[in-house]
Amino acid sequence: MDIQAYIHSGIIESYVLGLASTEEAIEVEKLRLQYPEIDKALEDFSVMLEKEAFENAIAPPADVKSKIIAAISEDERKTRIVPILPFKDADTNVSAPVRSLRVWRFAAAASILLFIVSTAFNIYLYNRYNEKNAAYIALLTDRNSLQANNQVYQTRMKEWESALSVLHDPKMAMIKLADVRGQKNLATVFWDRNNKDVYLVANVLPEVKTGKQYQLWALVKGKPVNAGMIDPACEGVCKMITTPQAEAFAITLENEGGSSTPTMKELCVMGKV
Amino acid sequence: MNTTNIYSEGELVAMLKQHQEPAFNYLYDHYSASLYSVILNIVPDKELANDVLQEVFLKIWRQIDTYDTTKGRLFTWMLNVARNASIDIVRSKNFQNSQQNRELTESVYEAGGSTEIDIDKIGLRKIVHKLKEDYKVLVELSYFQGYTQDEISKMLSIPLGTVKTRLRTALIQLKQVIKQ
Repeated sequence: MDIQAYIHSGIIESYVLGLASTEEAIEVEKLRLQYPEIDKALEDFSVMLEKEAFENAIAPPADVKSKIIAAISEDERKTRIVPILPFKDADTNVSAPVRSLRVWRFAAAASILLFIVSTAFNIYLYNRYNEKNAAYIALLTDRNSLQANNQVYQTRMKEWESALSVLHDPKMAMIKLADVRGQKNLATVFWDRNNKDVYLVANVLPEVKTGKQYQLWALVKGKPVNAGMIDPACEGVCKMITTPQAEAFAITLENEGGSSTPTMKELCVMGKV
Repeated sequence: MNTTNIYSEGELVAMLKQHQEPAFNYLYDHYSASLYSVILNIVPDKELANDVLQEVFLKIWRQIDTYDTTKGRLFTWMLNVARNASIDIVRSKNFQNSQQNRELTESVYEAGGSTEIDIDKIGLRKIVHKLKEDYKVLVELSYFQGYTQDEISKMLSIPLGTVKTRLRTALIQLKQVIKQ
């Protein structure tokens, strides 16, 4: 490419004066980057035009400037949202990060405070939970023991019910066994006249020492016959050994497990049929 | 207006792109007179030229981001902004009407203290006047009135290629005159 011919073709002047077509302008802008001579020619003619314009300058009326300054100030006021002023307004530049730092500090302090409050509340709730759990376990235990007691009473009640049915039976003979020294009735024997079953209610007999047990005897033709051991666990009516014949019943205190013959000095109560 | 530069062109442009008003103040003080003469070359009415000058500086302020320093000098860019704004005004309907009215009133009050400027006696136009008639008309129509080469070719009934080469020659001669 003949650079000098290009430079002297008038394209330089056309471009600088704004008379070049779009294609020509693109070409010039491309070539000026490749050829320093073209760039220099463009710069030279621009400077020349600029100098000429300065030499022929005509000062505009003074009021034009104030109008323009007012207009651009108004423009700025309207359009400026975020000021980009790295040299001016040192205060705003400094105080903005300080303000945001302050906000962050406040946020950090607030979150730490919230965390502490939350932890304290959690500990409080955990303690409350433990208390309530202990109370619940105590209630469960109470309930279980009440249920157990209830079963005991139910059993006892059944025993008394059966005892009551025995007492109300008209076939039953009631033999009161009284203290041999006094007249105090301490036990009662119920004897079924039909099937000869013997029941004993011994609830008011004195308590026995360990290793000792009461034994019921039936006197058959003057001789004592074993009618059964009194189970200390039996409350209410206790079923004894069926006795077909008897003139009297007696209770002696014997060694645990009973004896074949009654120990007469330990005779507690006796009653005739 | 050959006042001592307080900013280099690069500094000035950088500050303008940051919309710093002191830079704009400097820009106006430094360039308004030369741009005003460019405007007066195209818009002969002083009042109207004042409005155009205001418009030109507002455009410079608002569109400084579109100025690309690699594509030429700041003044060249501003010169083209001023030239285009002036041509737009001159070619607008309002201006055409006012010119007709003016011609009527002027015929009544001959030299009646007009604000009109003899545009042939200032700036670049003064230089263009020194050119040969064939060249002068092409520069007049294209540079001062903003017609495209295609439009000029039709207006003057000259082939487009001739318009192009003749205008180029005219501009080369214009440069020679400016140089002197």
